[in-house]
Amino acid sequence: MKIKLRYFYFLLLTLIVACSSDDVGIDEEKPTISIDYADGFPQGCSELTRGETYSFRAQTTDNLSLASYSIDIHHNFDHHTHDDQVGDCSLEDIKTAVNPLIFIENYTIDEGGTTYEINVSITIPDDVDTGDYHCAYSVTDATGWQSRTSIDIKIIE
Amino acid sequence: MSHKILSIWLIFGLCSTVLAQNSFQIKGVVKHANDLTPAVGATIVGENLYTFSSDTGAFTINNLSKAKYTFTISHIGCEPKTISVAVGPNMKELNVYLSEDATVLEEVKVNAKTSEREVMETPIVTQTVSKEFLDQNRENTLMQTLSKVAGVSTINIGSGQSKPVIRGLGFNRVAVVQNGIKHEAQQWGNDHGLEIDQHGIENIQIIKGPASLLYGSDAIAGVVDIQPNKIPQPNSFAGEVNIIGESNNDLLGVSAGVTTRKDKWFYRGRLTYRDYGDYKVPTDQINYENYVFELHENNLRNTAGNEADASLGIGFISDGIKTETVFSNVNAKNGFFANAHGLEVRSSSIDYDSSNRDIDLPYHKVNHFKITNNTAIKIGDHNLQIDLGYQNNNREEHSEPVPHGYMPTPSNTKERSFIKNTYSLNFRDAFKPTDQHDIVVGLNTEYQNNNIGGWGFLIPEYNRFTVGVFAYDQFEVNSNFHVLAGFRYDVGSVATKAYFDWYQSTVNNDDGSTSYIYLQRSQDKTLNFGSLSTSLGLSYIKNKTSYKVNIGRSFRMPLANELASDGVNYHMYRYEQGNIDLDPEISYQLDLAVDHTKKSFSIGVSPFINIFQNYIYLNPTSNYYETIQIYEYTQAKVFRIGGEFNTSTTILKKFQIDASVEYVYSRQTSGAKEGFTLPFSPPLSSLLSAKYQFNKLLFFNNPQFIADYRITAAQEEIVPPEEKTDGYQVLNMSFLTEIDVFTNNLPLEMRIKLNNVFDTKYFNHTSFYRLIDVPEAGRNISLSITIPFKK
Repeated sequence: MKIKLRYFYFLLLTLIVACSSDDVGIDEEKPTISIDYADGFPQGCSELTRGETYSFRAQTTDNLSLASYSIDIHHNFDHHTHDDQVGDCSLEDIKTAVNPLIFIENYTIDEGGTTYEINVSITIPDDVDTGDYHCAYSVTDATGWQSRTSIDIKIIE
Repeated sequence: MSHKILSIWLIFGLCSTVLAQNSFQIKGVVKHANDLTPAVGATIVGENLYTFSSDTGAFTINNLSKAKYTFTISHIGCEPKTISVAVGPNMKELNVYLSEDATVLEEVKVNAKTSEREVMETPIVTQTVSKEFLDQNRENTLMQTLSKVAGVSTINIGSGQSKPVIRGLGFNRVAVVQNGIKHEAQQWGNDHGLEIDQHGIENIQIIKGPASLLYGSDAIAGVVDIQPNKIPQPNSFAGEVNIIGESNNDLLGVSAGVTTRKDKWFYRGRLTYRDYGDYKVPTDQINYENYVFELHENNLRNTAGNEADASLGIGFISDGIKTETVFSNVNAKNGFFANAHGLEVRSSSIDYDSSNRDIDLPYHKVNHFKITNNTAIKIGDHNLQIDLGYQNNNREEHSEPVPHGYMPTPSNTKERSFIKNTYSLNFRDAFKPTDQHDIVVGLNTEYQNNNIGGWGFLIPEYNRFTVGVFAYDQFEVNSNFHVLAGFRYDVGSVATKAYFDWYQSTVNNDDGSTSYIYLQRSQDKTLNFGSLSTSLGLSYIKNKTSYKVNIGRSFRMPLANELASDGVNYHMYRYEQGNIDLDPEISYQLDLAVDHTKKSFSIGVSPFINIFQNYIYLNPTSNYYETIQIYEYTQAKVFRIGGEFNTSTTILKKFQIDASVEYVYSRQTSGAKEGFTLPFSPPLSSLLSAKYQFNKLLFFNNPQFIADYRITAAQEEIVPPEEKTDGYQVLNMSFLTEIDVFTNNLPLEMRIKLNNVFDTKYFNHTSFYRLIDVPEAGRNISLSITIPFKK
């Protein structure tokens, strides 16, 4: 029986060795995305005025190569979600959307690179519903890892 | 019938008392202990005496002198009984009850091989799970119970649902078969669990490897084959009631089953009901990305559920024919974790914490209705087996209506619904043209019709038809050396149906204008597939060691969601895109199994090497669709190697130690994720199990202590969007015993089980909730009582 056990350990050992030898060269790191710097916009609980134009800015990084990002602004009149920023904003009463702002855009970072500042100019239309909104950024790297961040904002008159 | 026997018996009994002579006689009746039917033709052998029992089980031995006689009564299928009788005047009639032999064969086999021997001889590597194993290790779901088998793991969705994973592959790559019919539900879905009542199952065969040859598409990674239950003995009635309670999720479950047989007709029925609250995890907050979810009293918010199952079987057995029809219905409703289901973070005005038993949104409910018929007919040398099946799977996912992208707030909570009807017909003929050959030829056909509803779109409606023909031959070179060779060809057709969004999306045209259109998500399209499966296996037995080698090619037809998905899966926060050009998945595997079994020691090792020519994989891309990351179905070459090791030893007859190790290594060797592993890869894991059997402890009969210690290594092998998972060690303990509560009846069986003894906080890499950093369930005490009865 001892002989057989020895064979097994040998097999197990070769297996482990075989498996641990080629673990190089794959990207296991997610990109990062943050508005937590002086120019980052919008900050949590920001109030955006209808008719005004704002520069939406967020800093992204990756260990290898950034690929795409997206910005999604949608209403939170039903309080369906909350942001991941420090501190809670006071939400207005729940209401029904009539003509909410829907901003859905994807962008590619053609130059790749390991750092990139998102800077998109968005004008808040004059006729959209005011109230609680949610701004979500997301970024992917060339491998397919993704990071997201979201911010509670308000659109006011 | 039984009245007649009783009266005859009584008459005989009366007769014997009136006899009083110098030459004495012994009169008696031999009966089966379990059902009190007469044991016809039992032999009664002693020194200078020999007789048989009659049709009524009665026997008489004449011309005996006044002395003490010892004789042995034996009967086929019963344990022989030796009794001593002092013969003299005024002798009472003897009543001899013979108990069934421990190994009753379901049917009389021409060749007297035990089922263990047959399993050893066939080159197919199977693992048998008995009712005893299921009873001793019962967890919340069937698959959690089976995960104690090395090489088998589960993908759990909360405490009440799980799906099978064999050697790291799951979803549609593992076929679950019940009563010969493949279980067909929404196996492709991340949050789908197996809809099978885990009570009342007597025997499961697990094949850890490709088995397309026998089971067709979907059995590419393995099979969990739930065998039809044994046919009860004639004139028998038996049943059991099982009650279970658990502390972690406040579960209360009741399951009651009966089986009865007169002569040729037999019936069985079972009812199961389980109701449980939110399960508790050993943490009071969950940190997922930048979110923090506070938990109320450690309850994983809104994971309560219930399950109600019923089944009824009607069977007939006679010379050369055996048939059974089983109707079953499984109905379950489970809540999903309220703060984040899949990857989507949600807030709600629902007061989830007011009760840990209510099921609020989001939840799913499923009803699975199944009829199966298994008929075996013996015509000459041919054993024909016909299996028919009809299944209706009706699953609904409900969540709070929320606007997403261009979709306005829906008017109701029904996010998705799937109604799938599956009709199956399997036929096989087994015959022996010569003593050396066992040939089986067969046909499998299946028709599926899948309908969808709800405001969320994920997979299209489709119809699918598959036919496969197969033949294999098990050739006996000599009694210790067997070869199995077989091939199979399958053809299939999938017809997907068109689907358009119910709301308009904004589309920016190239000329600068904007249009609002109902986007088309799927098209009317018919796709045809065909594939060959082959298998060659050897089995060699030398003394106490058996060696098996198998090499085979298996396949899997692409599913409708892999071919034609085109929609946002908000639970997973991804846009899933099918690929109409996918080929059937082809896998080649080499399996080895060596088992050495001695009386008090056994050791086994079963390594494998597996190559997928084109593994269908949902690849996370770098691109976005309406701000949601696009995942596309793609094909990649995959290399896998791994295996299981088991050993068991018994010390001093009372103390048994089992150890097992399982390991799988997977690599994508081509495609976008070359160098990465596959999703949900189980880490290296071992299970140490110690069992001590007492003789008698206070009023406990056959008490046993079992301690299971699982040591799992960290899983460093990940693929986006997975997270690495740390290793863990968990101790489970159980105490099993029988108690004689009712005299003259079967003993009551009791089990106390303590799971996660130290309330360890750990993560299971293959749990659905792992992605949102939810740890596994905390400490749980369960008490299970089974009251068996018999007539």
